[in-house]
Amino acid sequence: MKAPKGKPPETGHRRRPEGAGREISMVDKDTVLELLKQVYDPELGVNVVDLGLIYELDVEGGRVRIRMTLTTPGCPLHEAIVGGVRRVLERHPGIEDVDVRVVWEPRWTPERLTPAGREALGFF
Amino acid sequence: MVSRVSRLPFWFLATGLVSFAAFQLWSLADLASWLAAFAEDPRMPSGWSRAHLLVLGWATMIAMGAVYQLVPVVLQNRNLFSERLGYVQYAVFTAGFAGLAAGFLAADAILIGGFAVLAFAGILLFAFNIGATLIRANAWTNVTAGCAAAVFHLVLAGAAGMLMGLNFAFEWWGTFHDRLLGAHLWLGAAGWFGFLIMSFSFKLFPMFHLSHGHPEALQRWVAGFLAAGVWTGVPSFLFNAPAWCHWIALTCAASAFVLYAVHLSQIVRFRHKQTPGAGIRWSRHLAIGQASVAALLVPLSAVFPDIVLSTRMAVVIGWLYLWGWVGGTILAYLSKIIPFLWWTSKYGSRAGREKVPTMAELIDDRKVNALLTAIFAGLFVLAAGFGWNSPLLQSLGGGLLAAVSLLYAGYVGAVFAK
Repeated sequence: MKAPKGKPPETGHRRRPEGAGREISMVDKDTVLELLKQVYDPELGVNVVDLGLIYELDVEGGRVRIRMTLTTPGCPLHEAIVGGVRRVLERHPGIEDVDVRVVWEPRWTPERLTPAGREALGFF
Repeated sequence: MVSRVSRLPFWFLATGLVSFAAFQLWSLADLASWLAAFAEDPRMPSGWSRAHLLVLGWATMIAMGAVYQLVPVVLQNRNLFSERLGYVQYAVFTAGFAGLAAGFLAADAILIGGFAVLAFAGILLFAFNIGATLIRANAWTNVTAGCAAAVFHLVLAGAAGMLMGLNFAFEWWGTFHDRLLGAHLWLGAAGWFGFLIMSFSFKLFPMFHLSHGHPEALQRWVAGFLAAGVWTGVPSFLFNAPAWCHWIALTCAASAFVLYAVHLSQIVRFRHKQTPGAGIRWSRHLAIGQASVAALLVPLSAVFPDIVLSTRMAVVIGWLYLWGWVGGTILAYLSKIIPFLWWTSKYGSRAGREKVPTMAELIDDRKVNALLTAIFAGLFVLAAGFGWNSPLLQSLGGGLLAAVSLLYAGYVGAVFAK
């Protein structure tokens, strides 16, 4: 995914997950995307990948760096969704370090929804 | 940044639901026959007591809880100025409104005066806490400015109420009491609830519809007309102005309600989610109904001012506005606000760690729709009973309204057990 241009990241979370440093299997982007699909916006009932909230995903060895957004600034589920992204990655034994940053530029638009996300929402 | 879920809004929402249930049980206890006496003369001790239980104990309590929940969110997860002060404010305001309702019921002037001061102190603490939070964040939008305007009008409505309470005890104001009453009602009903519901809807309505790119220009017109309506009406009441001044106030407020309904339609046109939920759909139906009634009242009051100003019509309009639009919108939004609050509190920190339910699994939208439909059917029958001066319809409508409202409060409150 391409990195968006705009303001610098507004929030960040960096955690050293439990079990870091032990012998681990490598992860790739597809594995991370599948993990992220387990995190849902509980109001919309659509996962963060199909909502198009993930702007940028970099995987280097056991380090995962994510730039993401939410459907609206001032989202009541901000902490739950961003925390969910972080937690689901930290659980994976192949991930040593997780960096999740929330950005508001460019703003999320419905065009970012995947076909599966559109179908789930009854998008029109 | 907010690092944990504040429990403060729970206290307000739970207390609001208890007050709501108490009001409905009280109505059912006399088979809603009090409504017949209320229709004849709303200014009776039991009527005042019930009105303050409903408006302060339920509607304002829920509204304060919603402000405590949503302001930090709208300000992108900034903390409240002081959560501890919020708990103190909760205790002071709860004691104030409960004592006030008891004082009215007992027709005890000293109790009314004393607890009116306490309730106003609770409002002042609330205004200070929210005002300091907004000023410190310095992030002014139509939503935050509207919230600030709402709280400002709540303070003025509370001040007018406290002065009336003191007048019960000390008889300081003489006939000015009735003028204060008009200003108190107008500041509270149009200023506090009007600004709060409309400005929060500017945030919540697009959010639940997943609307993007909708025009926002009308939001300022809505606020402008509402402010013009309130600030033409308040001096008109205080200085006993001629009827045409009140009519201008009504026309401005009606314009705000009509533009608000039009703006909600604009938001719906830009939606990307098929179903926003029954509560949100109902909030729009109610806004359209409210706008239609207000628009109808403008020419009607110009041609037949005596009919519109009659006690019977005032009771109908008052119930439709306060119970229909204000109360109905609060009930409708509760079906979203409570699951949001509970999900965030119970499941928010579990997301990504284990399978957690969606909001839709916490509350059944079809049941919400059925209960809200029955509530507004009851309200319609009750309003017809007031209009036709039929005690039978008043008791039937009032009884249905109270019974289904109890079921609804129980159903929404049951989310806290999921």
